[in-house]
Amino acid sequence: MGFRFDLLLLFTTLVLLSTIAPTVLSDVILSKVDRRIDLTSQIVRVTSTLKVENPGPDPVSEVLLTFPEIQAKDLAYLTATLNEGKGKVKKSGSNLLINVAKPEELPPSLIFHSVSLPKALGEGDSLTIDVLAVFTHALRPFPEEITQADIQLVLFQDTAHYLSPYAVKVQSLTVKLPKARIETYTKLENTNIHGSDIKYGPYENLPPFSYAPIAVHFETNQPFAVAQELVREIEISHWGNVQVTEHYNVVHQGAKSKGEFSRLDFQARPHLRGASALRNLVAKLPPRAHSIYYRDEIGNISTSNVWGDPKKTELVIEPRYPLFGGWRTTFTIGYGLPLQDFLFGLEGKRFLNFSFGSPINDLVTDNLIVKVVLPEGSNDISISTPFPVKARTRGIIALRTKISHLDVAGRPVVVLEKTNVVPEHNQYFQVYYRFNKLSMLREPFMLISGFFILFVSCIVYMHVDMSISKSSASYLAKLQWDEVRATIQQVVSIINQCLSKHERLEASLHDLSRTGDVQACKTARKTADSLFKEYSKELKPLLSFLQSSPQATQILPKVEELVAKEKELQERLIAKHSTIVDCYEKKIGGRELENRVASHQQKVVALKQEVDDLLDYIEEI
Amino acid sequence: MAAAITSPVPVAWYPTLAILMLAVGLIVTASFFIYEATSSRRNRSLAKELTTGALASFFLGFGTLFLLLASGVYV
Repeated sequence: MGFRFDLLLLFTTLVLLSTIAPTVLSDVILSKVDRRIDLTSQIVRVTSTLKVENPGPDPVSEVLLTFPEIQAKDLAYLTATLNEGKGKVKKSGSNLLINVAKPEELPPSLIFHSVSLPKALGEGDSLTIDVLAVFTHALRPFPEEITQADIQLVLFQDTAHYLSPYAVKVQSLTVKLPKARIETYTKLENTNIHGSDIKYGPYENLPPFSYAPIAVHFETNQPFAVAQELVREIEISHWGNVQVTEHYNVVHQGAKSKGEFSRLDFQARPHLRGASALRNLVAKLPPRAHSIYYRDEIGNISTSNVWGDPKKTELVIEPRYPLFGGWRTTFTIGYGLPLQDFLFGLEGKRFLNFSFGSPINDLVTDNLIVKVVLPEGSNDISISTPFPVKARTRGIIALRTKISHLDVAGRPVVVLEKTNVVPEHNQYFQVYYRFNKLSMLREPFMLISGFFILFVSCIVYMHVDMSISKSSASYLAKLQWDEVRATIQQVVSIINQCLSKHERLEASLHDLSRTGDVQACKTARKTADSLFKEYSKELKPLLSFLQSSPQATQILPKVEELVAKEKELQERLIAKHSTIVDCYEKKIGGRELENRVASHQQKVVALKQEVDDLLDYIEEI
Repeated sequence: MAAAITSPVPVAWYPTLAILMLAVGLIVTASFFIYEATSSRRNRSLAKELTTGALASFFLGFGTLFLLLASGVYV
């Protein structure tokens, strides 16, 4: 079998190494190594606590971590922290890791990572380092194909002795398995089972590069959800929204399903027929996410649930069908987030602070592409990530452009890629850029100028004379009618002014009844008189024009009637006004006043009505 | 310390602003077209037409922008 041969080769290499290995690297001794391998999910997490001691005379500034090559290609995430104090107090700073391969003395089937210590370890000193290594695709389904009724068994291979270029004094290993059946496991000396944990050790005084292969074959009914390709698009709008769209292509990479799929069995006895099927995915979105949608090529998928609290928004999505081994599905998730949670300004530059990986729990992504779409007009763009990613063109941030709503040239898009992404990569990264606030006004100005062009074209259309023949009878008739209309409008406007003067006169009468000021009334009447004379003067040329033009023959009598009536109205009003003023002067009140005024008043009212009717009629033409 | 950047206009105002601006814009548009329809060639004043058109397009432009933002198209 293939894997056995690899391990055999590695084993012999290491045996040779441990006998031949020079003492160059063994100036550090690991006095205590506790390893804990967590196999409860598809992602293998190995936590090692190393107590590093420096016996030799030279100070030590780096510690090497070793992985066999076959394991190293599955390594997704490696971090080391300094463990200060007793247990609880942990400094969360991470030391620098450099991938160092030392080809001189050591064979190429081992990969070395070097952890730089913040300050060199002096002679006789010791410190504790916590190392977390995350591996993907390390659990092999065995058997590789199962039917719907079978349970899923996987095989995990590693070494019971900690593989290290240094000698280890005391070490132990705990393998944590899910609470299910353990099929077989390698039994070395000092091997115990406690519940679902297998303890190997403690082993004492082992030489460097010691290696004891173990294999654990156990049942896990976790669905192995792997997103083969995930494209995350994060679009920023300065008007208050960050829109995230994620396109997933998810495969169940556990034991492949063979035979038939019976929906009846699956729904009747789900835990016996389809225990390892992928039923749903749980995503943890940032708080205050809104407008969440879940759809695929066919349309909206309604089997989803959302609930939110101030810390997070939890989204549970079920694909259209349960995923068995080897089955795949594609879908898209989208949601909007408030801008102020993610966009910040610092010293003239703005930056977006966003999480890098997928929000879905326990999902391995083989190929992750993150696209950040910045608003149009952003420049001077740079990125900062907590772990290395591939920006589309090395060195300079590569920009594609995306043309979206109300864009002229397009929006800059920063594309970041990474392979083998695990949930530990869900840390914040930053994209810095500069943006001039006035560029935000470009969008409303585009809309305003669009509407203005519409209005200008209306004006042009009304002003431009587009008739073909300029001397035909109908054209000339139209011109004349236009003139007549213009004149009538002017007449009407003068008449309206007269009417408003009538109102003023009436108002002065009211004032008189309130204050008894006769003099003011008389002056009002005088001004009204003079104004009326002016108006009639203005009306004369207009009326004469109307009389002369042939087009106006129909409307002319009405207009003349209107003018005549209006004149009558004026005279009546003035008469009424003078009567009232006289009465006031002579101090005649009450009944007498009313009698004298009554006839005038009636006529005034009737005339007013007629004038209004005529005005309406004329305006309708 | 970094300061959070928000939109220049509070997001909660978008629907109200959209309706207000569009209403005013449409009223001014209506007055523009009424003036065009009722005035005769001699009485028309280009200055009045242009100012009414400019005012109407200003309000309509901002109204459409806020309408787009309020309906979720964050331009």
